[in-house]
Amino acid sequence: MNQSSIDRRMFLRSLGIAGAAVTAAPLLYACAKEDAGQNPGAGQSGAVDADALTLVSLYGTSGLQAELGQEGLDGLRLVPEAFGGTLLDRPVEIVAYDTQEAIDEAVRRVRESTEAGAKFFVGGLLSSTALAIGEEVNKSGGVFVTAAGADELTGSECQEALFRWSVATHGAIQETVLRMIESDSSRKRWYTITPDYVFGQALLDNAKQVFAERGIEHVGNSLHGLDATEFSGYINNAVAKKPDVLCILNFGAQSTTTIQQAVAFGVKNDMEILLAWSGGLSQFRALGPETLEGIYAGAQYWHTVDAPGNSEFVDMFREKYDKNPSYSHAAGYISGKLILDGVRAAGSADPAAVVQELEGMKYDGPTGEETIRAEDHQVIKDYYLMKGKTASDMEDDDDLMEILSSGQSVTAVDQTGCKLVPLGG
Amino acid sequence: MSSELLLSQLVNGLGNGLIYFVIAVGFTLVFGLMNFVNFAHGAFVVLGAYFAFELLEREVSFWAALVIAPLLVGAVAVVVERLLLRRLYRMAHTYQIVATIGLAIGIQEVCTLIWGPNQFTLPAPESLSTTIEIGATTYPLYRVFVVVLTATLALGLWLLLERTRFGAMLRAGSEDADMVSCLGINIYLLFSLTFGGAAFLAALAGVLSGPMRGLSPTSGDSFLALAVVVIVVGGIGSYVGALVAALMVAEVQSLAIVFAPAFGEVVIYALMAVVLLIKSDFIVGRLARA
Repeated sequence: MNQSSIDRRMFLRSLGIAGAAVTAAPLLYACAKEDAGQNPGAGQSGAVDADALTLVSLYGTSGLQAELGQEGLDGLRLVPEAFGGTLLDRPVEIVAYDTQEAIDEAVRRVRESTEAGAKFFVGGLLSSTALAIGEEVNKSGGVFVTAAGADELTGSECQEALFRWSVATHGAIQETVLRMIESDSSRKRWYTITPDYVFGQALLDNAKQVFAERGIEHVGNSLHGLDATEFSGYINNAVAKKPDVLCILNFGAQSTTTIQQAVAFGVKNDMEILLAWSGGLSQFRALGPETLEGIYAGAQYWHTVDAPGNSEFVDMFREKYDKNPSYSHAAGYISGKLILDGVRAAGSADPAAVVQELEGMKYDGPTGEETIRAEDHQVIKDYYLMKGKTASDMEDDDDLMEILSSGQSVTAVDQTGCKLVPLGG
Repeated sequence: MSSELLLSQLVNGLGNGLIYFVIAVGFTLVFGLMNFVNFAHGAFVVLGAYFAFELLEREVSFWAALVIAPLLVGAVAVVVERLLLRRLYRMAHTYQIVATIGLAIGIQEVCTLIWGPNQFTLPAPESLSTTIEIGATTYPLYRVFVVVLTATLALGLWLLLERTRFGAMLRAGSEDADMVSCLGINIYLLFSLTFGGAAFLAALAGVLSGPMRGLSPTSGDSFLALAVVVIVVGGIGSYVGALVAALMVAEVQSLAIVFAPAFGEVVIYALMAVVLLIKSDFIVGRLARA
């Protein structure tokens, strides 16, 4: 074959046009969906209703973390009925935007919603997105609850408007890496695989600190990008270093693929595997018992936890969706519920009054008794270290993991670096 | 760097490179023969994986899915080519680009509607779900199978293009389609077969990739980007250039993960830029035409 009709210059010019078209296409598509009233979902109206108490969902329900985003939204959808549909004589509504976890899209949605009268926001799977949303909501004087992980959310970047339900990366590492080191002194050599963004870096920094404090040899780390879907090269790197533990610090679909590939490469025969921050039940289901057997995982939530707040949530969830909830379901639900609990306690939808009520609030949450620390707006709750069961030990299809330990590890207030930026600041 | 790590990364690069080749060769054949820019090529890769996913859900064996899914995608491609794309052959490339990007988005949205937006992987066949020792390195048997299959396929394709009457018609068509048509060969049938065959190869790569990486409706963009890098490096329309470039790209990517992990995913674009700067025709393209 020759290059008779197309040369490289023509091809690259075509590529330029294609690049512009590819960039424009999702925007046009999103606009089309919005015009058709599909994007603002949850079965509610397509726009913020100023007369309603509106919870704005800012999860990315498409893209790499789509599954977790959709779960968060499904959990949030339970909130209106948890309050009987109304609060302060106003209907409780949910307006959902698919942010694709893109910072610019999320910020744009906050601005639009605020102009339309919305004050309460939930979502942000990625720490970078959650940080941007938190800053924007704070400027606009609203309230935002997230379950994203980076310490900065309730540390150096904390805002008066911003609350975080999940245990931060510091606590996740303490309750997994440190617990594993304490329980078996032969785990001396660790290799980490880390996503190259805020959340991954925060987990890595905390892990390194534990390694240094405990005299553990950190034999290597592989950084990968946000779009990576093939991890075999990183796994080869890890295997070559002969660690005792392969510590996976990425998240969601990326961590699922990393584990699948690690198991395919026979890594389980040579070392232990820890997934420090799992996506919970839905991720474990996707991995399946054969892959999961013997793998350690950290988890923010587990559906069998014996606590009144969890029973109430699980019952409601099963009735609506006919299955057990996963971590992101719980995160979406409790994030929205906390805001409305604050509204009810304040007797007002004024964000400043809601923030005041939420600070220091103790409540029955999905993991037992949970407390919102006033100084940095971090929820203090349990984090779990689990281990994959053998198929023969499972009592039902979701009985995939055994809880080995649980605990509440949190950075001391004076070490968070948090100085709450005032609402509107 | 230990020799075991180097070996395992090189083997890994070989496997990935052959997959990249199977994707890129269809793209470059359509480009070379039909003078047609198909930006839906990456979407065909993903569609193949989804068809296989659906077949596996219906308890069809992996081996059957490996054949049926690409055939289905090839059939879809032929229908699309006859109903839509044929009208664009005489138009400027910008029209082809817009139409095929629209097609790619359409396929992406159909996949999302039917199978949801979540990432998925395909299970490797039971008989290949084990590892073998290559020197001091443990390697998944499935990946060895992919290397053997794609290498055989590459050889078969070369024989088809260079040693058969059909291949001669394709090569002649790429030189001067009008002249070939005047010789009594149905050039439009040839185009349909080429387009369907390219889609078949793309889908085959999608099915083979399924047990090796996470896939989602939007994965087509990254496969298309890979194909673009390969044909820019290897020379447009060149079979051997595509093979050499695909292996080069994958090996560079694989070794970059060892030496500079943070740049493992962008290094191939840097490679493309370097090749463009030094005019790759004189490196790979000339080698291919030799």
